[in-house]
Amino acid sequence: MPAIVIALLVAVAFALGYRYYSPYLANKVYALQESFVTPAHEFRDGIDYVPTNKHVLFGHHFTSVAGAAPIVGPAIAVVWGWGPALAWVVLGTIFASGAHDFGSIVVSVRHKAQNIGTLTQTVINPRSRTLFLLIIFFLVTLVNAVFAIVIANLFMANPAVVIPIVLEIPIAIAVGQLIYRKRTAALAPSIMGVVVLYASIPLGRAFPLEIDGLAEMVGVQPRTAWVVLLFVYAGVASRIPVWILLQPRDYINSHQLFIALAAILLGIIIGMNEIVAPMLNTDLPPDTPNWFPFLFVTIACGAISGFHSLVASGTTSKQLDKETDARYVGYMGSLGEGSLAVGAILATTAGIAIVGLDWNTQYATFGDAAGGAVGNFVQGVAGFVSNFGIPVEIGTIFAALVVISFAATTMDSGVRLQRYIFQEIGEIAGIRVLKENLNLVTVVAVVIPLALALDPELAFGRLWTLFGTTNQLTAGLALAVIAVWVLTRKRNPLAQIIPLAFLLTMTTWALFVQLGDLWEARDWLLLVLDAIIFILAVWLVIEAILALRRAQTAKAEAPAPEPDRSGDLE
Amino acid sequence: MDTHRLILVREWDAQHTGSGCCGKVGGGHELCDQDDFRRSRDEMERVGAIYRALYETFGDELDLTVVDPRNTMWLLPTVYRDARRRGLPAGKAVRTMAMSTANGAIVLDGKVLFDGKLPPSPVEAVAAVRAELAATARGT
Repeated sequence: MPAIVIALLVAVAFALGYRYYSPYLANKVYALQESFVTPAHEFRDGIDYVPTNKHVLFGHHFTSVAGAAPIVGPAIAVVWGWGPALAWVVLGTIFASGAHDFGSIVVSVRHKAQNIGTLTQTVINPRSRTLFLLIIFFLVTLVNAVFAIVIANLFMANPAVVIPIVLEIPIAIAVGQLIYRKRTAALAPSIMGVVVLYASIPLGRAFPLEIDGLAEMVGVQPRTAWVVLLFVYAGVASRIPVWILLQPRDYINSHQLFIALAAILLGIIIGMNEIVAPMLNTDLPPDTPNWFPFLFVTIACGAISGFHSLVASGTTSKQLDKETDARYVGYMGSLGEGSLAVGAILATTAGIAIVGLDWNTQYATFGDAAGGAVGNFVQGVAGFVSNFGIPVEIGTIFAALVVISFAATTMDSGVRLQRYIFQEIGEIAGIRVLKENLNLVTVVAVVIPLALALDPELAFGRLWTLFGTTNQLTAGLALAVIAVWVLTRKRNPLAQIIPLAFLLTMTTWALFVQLGDLWEARDWLLLVLDAIIFILAVWLVIEAILALRRAQTAKAEAPAPEPDRSGDLE
Repeated sequence: MDTHRLILVREWDAQHTGSGCCGKVGGGHELCDQDDFRRSRDEMERVGAIYRALYETFGDELDLTVVDPRNTMWLLPTVYRDARRRGLPAGKAVRTMAMSTANGAIVLDGKVLFDGKLPPSPVEAVAAVRAELAATARGT
């Protein structure tokens, strides 16, 4: 089947979801009111609370939620065939992610734009705030470990991308100097930055950089050397003021996001390439876990991602002009993220054949599928861009450059976030040194995910599965908050409870099965991590059931709710 | 009464492309170190003071929009369209569009009133907008 047919069918499904399901959520479940005074109006200060045109707000929201994670999961999950992966992405986006992202905005708006961490405390109970922090802690730890390995693998597979990526740092710093110090308009320097970056691709090809010699000298594997170097980078970068590197690189990334999306779309349209992977892989490699439940944690971002609730409730809800705009911003944001995941599925099932790769060889084992997932995506994108005349070698470096740029930003942000979490833990536990010594906290924030990434027994697929489970647990917590709120408003919460129950079942099941696998593999580090996350999952299941039962009782006893007013704390 | 579009351009603190999925940080959000984003925060507060002064002075006469300069998918076509509506030739409209992406730019109906150097006080921003609206009303 041609990839373009799948793209069109998904577009139709997403359009139907927006046309028919999102109005159901808006009218029957969330009961949005155009006249509701949103926090953006109630607290209008021109700083955080700013009523914003829905198209502007969609731009802010979508670019915040889109990233590299929706690429990795689908690129692994096609090992079960493109059918299950696509079905979960499409159904998850329409019925789970749509309800989750959209609902996170609405509940936050109805609670003075409180963020999801505070909402868990307000709507469920104060204990849930601790649960939330613990889940985020493990989520961020796993994100940092996962992306370090992803980048290291890409560097080893594409040594020609190393020089452009290294050059991106001084380019971004120069862009930052112009934007922040000289106060120059951002468009010209950031576009110049992208041009110079892409112009450095031939330089990278001429001087591919490998560190095998360095690794041999210190007696480690090249991947280990890359991972260590990446964490040294992330640790240093996270201590630099954000305006010097992180923010200016983001101006370059913001262009790269749209360039990459346009390139993939154009390549699919022009090439009319056939999907070469099986729709349902009946000849699975022996090391492949069962798709049920592992598919649903392998693809987290792209089908449903808990981190979206942080964006939705952190900034988006403070800018919502009309409550009814939440449908456009939140639901469409989910569809955009789902589209990225579909792009990843098509690249790894149709695009890779264009560059002459054999799908069965690339997905010969689950280890190959997991470890080579991003490499397969990069090759697939290179195939698509070759459809409009870009040589495959150049396209490969271009795609690797885009993925690494996003992954590096994620690592930089992730190490910062990890530091904040440790500082908060230091504050809660009264450990002053953890709260005040930034260098120490940074070292701790780097060493923990580094230890994970360097685990000698590490199977990337298992690590990715754990990342998926923590992401799904974050989503589960947000869905529980939304469901409780919907129930207390005497409306039908099934739109939240069904995805919540499904996610929690799949997550705890996958964690439980993986416990046995890790025990057999004698991978003690991941075994302990899996066990802790399993306990968190069970804790979340209990909290969700208790909160829903309380809400059900309250609903039965309480009179019909008063119409919501702005800032109501229900 | 006609509504005029006034765009205030400045970054949202703690916002990065593609990082929301795996690392939304800072700036008074979920978990943060406000100092990391102090520079953006200061800019947000300065623009916020101008926003409030403009809103108090002009009310609904101005359609006030705060936009991040990285939100080019909305910002560029909007400013270009407004500049063309104002009668600027295509080349000048493109230049206006590029200038509108400066942090701290203030753009009224496709005309860049401040191109990245915020006025020292909100009063001057109000005066500049008032003068421009008067000039527009006179057709000059």
